[in-house]
Amino acid sequence: MRLALILLLLTAPLSAAADWLWGGADEPMPQVQVAEPFVEWRTGPAVGYPVFHTSEKGEWLTLRMRKTSWLKVTDRKGREGWVHIDDVQLTLDGEGEQVSLTNPRFDDFSSRSWEAGLMMGEFEGAAVTAIYGGYLLTRNLSAELWGSQVLGSASEIRMVNANIVHQPFPHWRISPFFTLGVGHIFIEPKATLAAPDDRDNSIGHAGLGVRAYITDNYFIRAEVKDYKIFTNRATNEEATEWKIGLSIFF
Amino acid sequence: MENRIKHILLSVLPLAGLLAFSPTVSAQDDDRPLIEPDVRPQKVDEALIDTENFEIGAFAGIINIEDFESSFLWGGKLTYHLSETFFFEANVGFAEGGDTSFEKLAGDVRVLPDDEREYRYYNINVGMNVLPGEAFLTENYAFNTNFYLIGGAGATDFAGDNRFTINVGAGYQVLLTDSLSIHLGVREHFYRIDVLGEEKTSLNTEVSAGLSVFF
Repeated sequence: MRLALILLLLTAPLSAAADWLWGGADEPMPQVQVAEPFVEWRTGPAVGYPVFHTSEKGEWLTLRMRKTSWLKVTDRKGREGWVHIDDVQLTLDGEGEQVSLTNPRFDDFSSRSWEAGLMMGEFEGAAVTAIYGGYLLTRNLSAELWGSQVLGSASEIRMVNANIVHQPFPHWRISPFFTLGVGHIFIEPKATLAAPDDRDNSIGHAGLGVRAYITDNYFIRAEVKDYKIFTNRATNEEATEWKIGLSIFF
Repeated sequence: MENRIKHILLSVLPLAGLLAFSPTVSAQDDDRPLIEPDVRPQKVDEALIDTENFEIGAFAGIINIEDFESSFLWGGKLTYHLSETFFFEANVGFAEGGDTSFEKLAGDVRVLPDDEREYRYYNINVGMNVLPGEAFLTENYAFNTNFYLIGGAGATDFAGDNRFTINVGAGYQVLLTDSLSIHLGVREHFYRIDVLGEEKTSLNTEVSAGLSVFF
């Protein structure tokens, strides 16, 4: 009898320590209660994975992790699976209110504050790759910073640009815009050519383009820009560029 | 007295057993939790949910640089998962070109100085998970997998110049855990080069394996 009591006294703190060590149930993980008749569990975070379990109305699920639009959940029996965010949005929290998690929709597109993207296209016949980041100052106006690399058969060009973008119809799904900006261009001729030295000049540009919302938090962006290169020779140079790419917004 | 001892024995022992082995018991089929938790779940705080849409990794493999033998290749990559299907991936890779056949046959001729044989590339790609699946290790254990197609553009710094490079390929990803994965991939890199006479399209095949971590 005493042995049992001693065992009990010894094991109780040990199991508590084990919980702490392995990060057991005491971590404050958000829990939600299923309010629909059932929610489907998949084996992985995509619709391609099979449904292997369902939770009924009233069951409590612990939200462990999120990957894109999927949440990894565990139930009271320790089972693990992935539930789509649309299903989690229909569950209730501890106070009986509907859960709301960030799930970017078209509504968020017009009220975004940051955007960033990657674009490719042609700059005077040569391939151009560009990345950019932008901040929306107002619903219509944003400021952007660009870095571009142009790889042609005669030279390699690097450009940095800062520009202001105006979109007259921010709430349109396909929204046109105008842009104006300034920057700097660095031109390095190819090694195999007996070309003149490297040069760098200031540039100014104007352009127009369109943003087209696709889904979640991304959109396609396409634009045409006309660059004026301010050389220190008698005439300035001009270059036309078009690009298309994918952007994300936050 | 004996009765009382028996009573204590019978009531305490099973309790001790229950507490000591409660994880095993609760893992069985009984739906009702043994001890109802008296902590009431609170409002869902989104900040407590770990979002893992980024992936960072390293890879190593072999790249066949056209005319310049095959070489060991290593590099790193950063991935952002836009959705369950699409992702952005940025790569950097490093290798070193070998000798051309001409250099080997002609003896003391060098087409390129050694520092121009350094092969470096970067590329930015869009990938698409086309065949999500599971790989079964044992009867009860499966790894999630993805087969993906990927393509994009970037630049290759080789033979003295930065060359615009397009790459396309495919990969197989095995998720060891939700946060750790293995990649096996094949890529074809295309660029124009005129180092050996006429300008031509150089095709460079890369085969690599890598490890990545989600964060």
